[in-house]
Amino acid sequence: MKPWRHYTVVGFFVFGCAGLVARLVYLSITDREFLQSQGDARSIRYETLRAYRGVVYDRQGQPLAVSTPVVAVWTNPSSSEFDEVTLTKLAKLLELDMAVLERRLEVYAKRKFMYLKRRLPWEKAEQLRALKLAGVFFQPEYRRYYPASEMAAHVVGVTDVDDAGLEGIELSFDELLKGRHGRKMVLKDQRGNTVKDLEYLSTPQFGTDLSLSLDLRLQYFAHRELKAAVAGHRAVSASLVMLDVRTGEVLALVNQPSYNPNELSGSRFDRMRNRAVTDTYEPGSTVKPFTVLAALESGRYRQTSLIDTSPGYFKVGNKLIEDPINRGVISLSEVLQKSSQVGIARVALRLEARAVYEVLVRAGVGAYVGTGLPGESMGKLSDLGLDNPVMRATLAYGYGLAVSPLQLAQAYLSLATLGIRMPVSILKQSVAPEGRRVFDAKQVRQVLDMMVGVTEDGGTAPKARVTGYRVAGKTGTSRKVGALGYDDKRHVALFAGIIPASDPRIVIVVVVNEPRGEIAGGGTVAAPIFARVAARTMRLLGIKPDSVVSLPESV
Amino acid sequence: MNKMRFSIWILLLLAVVASGVEVAYRSQEVRRLHVMSEEAQREQDEHLAEYSRLLIERGTLAAYQNVERIARDELAMSFPEDVERIEP
Repeated sequence: MKPWRHYTVVGFFVFGCAGLVARLVYLSITDREFLQSQGDARSIRYETLRAYRGVVYDRQGQPLAVSTPVVAVWTNPSSSEFDEVTLTKLAKLLELDMAVLERRLEVYAKRKFMYLKRRLPWEKAEQLRALKLAGVFFQPEYRRYYPASEMAAHVVGVTDVDDAGLEGIELSFDELLKGRHGRKMVLKDQRGNTVKDLEYLSTPQFGTDLSLSLDLRLQYFAHRELKAAVAGHRAVSASLVMLDVRTGEVLALVNQPSYNPNELSGSRFDRMRNRAVTDTYEPGSTVKPFTVLAALESGRYRQTSLIDTSPGYFKVGNKLIEDPINRGVISLSEVLQKSSQVGIARVALRLEARAVYEVLVRAGVGAYVGTGLPGESMGKLSDLGLDNPVMRATLAYGYGLAVSPLQLAQAYLSLATLGIRMPVSILKQSVAPEGRRVFDAKQVRQVLDMMVGVTEDGGTAPKARVTGYRVAGKTGTSRKVGALGYDDKRHVALFAGIIPASDPRIVIVVVVNEPRGEIAGGGTVAAPIFARVAARTMRLLGIKPDSVVSLPESV
Repeated sequence: MNKMRFSIWILLLLAVVASGVEVAYRSQEVRRLHVMSEEAQREQDEHLAEYSRLLIERGTLAAYQNVERIARDELAMSFPEDVERIEP
């Protein structure tokens, strides 16, 4: 054996070893960072820890919106193949059509992520988990349920499929309700199964629960009455707003038509609009109490001041203002009670140019109410053209301005509080908020007493009466603007009421949009809704009657 | 001198072995805690699912339509629409 063969073999080994060592040094020192990051990119994943969305309650603790854990099932079509048996099992458990599932897997064959099914109930997901199918992954998510369904849909709103607020409270208090998602770093194997939690970067913070000011019981009555009224009068829509006089809380806020937030598909957008907040109407005669208040403030009028309304019509500029009949000489009280256009216009024209406008501004007309409900309308109230008598006269009986039902309710709230403007809120208040005095208490008291006449014999709204209680209210019927100016066939029927008039506790505004039929004014359409809702409310809240109840003879 | 060196060597060896055992033990512990936390999270989800289900169930059972229907149809109650005088 020649020695060179031996050395050659040893030499090869030495060279080989040296090469390997050099490579090792190169990889672990020079290329280290690159390789490490590539390795991490293949195995380290960040996962979101979803926060539980807060529950929305009514003021009594009835749930209005509740999140419940569900599961999204997904797969990676590019790396997973399912055989016939697995697919059948999957399709059966997920209640999917086999053919559709196969087609989707084909279409997305090159993608790395595909939802098999979203919002799978928890129990179903457990069954699926038990099968331990390879390539099927689970991702927790939440689904929102609305137990009150269409009754409170407009206030509470809805969330989208990813649990973000879309409408109503869900939208405006989204930040509070959703909490904060947490994140963790995990190690995954080649198949995508989590092997190890490496680090919790942040723990999830659950969303805050919210208590709304709504009382679901009142909401229910209001909803039912409004629904019946819209059907009965074949109206386009209707809204009702009920406020608590002592705290400024919204006790009920209902619109028709409504929708079922649990079953959104097929819901039309116009059903989802919170009309009581977003839509504005000309308030018509419901403005008259404010005109009367302006008259009292001027010092030129008292409750008993006489106003000559004969011959039942008069002309301002080229505008004809008329009453249905000639009422002759009547008191200021009767002008309000009988809702005389001529009378109120006469009064308004004798006041300072800005008097009525200023009173309305102080009552909150033309400004945001600020409840926090999305899409709140500012309404329309302008001081342009107040030097024109026609504008002043029409403003006095509620034309040339626009208010949302919520705004009208807030304006009446400042009467019900005897002149204190309260912040209106949709959240339950633990203490009554501070208001701001905007009217003189004595003068407002007189206006309220005059408004009681509206629901008494000889007034325009005897149908708003509630047994055992004095009701201060005002009807309104305003024509809608069509393509050719005011349309005689389309109008809005309104009623705004305060009960009990002696010690106001509740303000209710009812607006019925485009009721059909011969006699469809505020007194016949809106007032009865007020009466029925108010009667139930008084009973439920245990508010003491302020009027003599004549007891029937005992039997 | 030599003896000193030897004992240091032994000490270091022991330390290496001890830390090795400690690492194995800790990673076992981490795995165990991971399983526990996973289990706890699952339980939390389960409780949340049940909690929300019960909330919804209560909401449905106590819904006013339901209460009114039972009062009216099953218990034959009615709202006192007119003022009535009831004497014992």
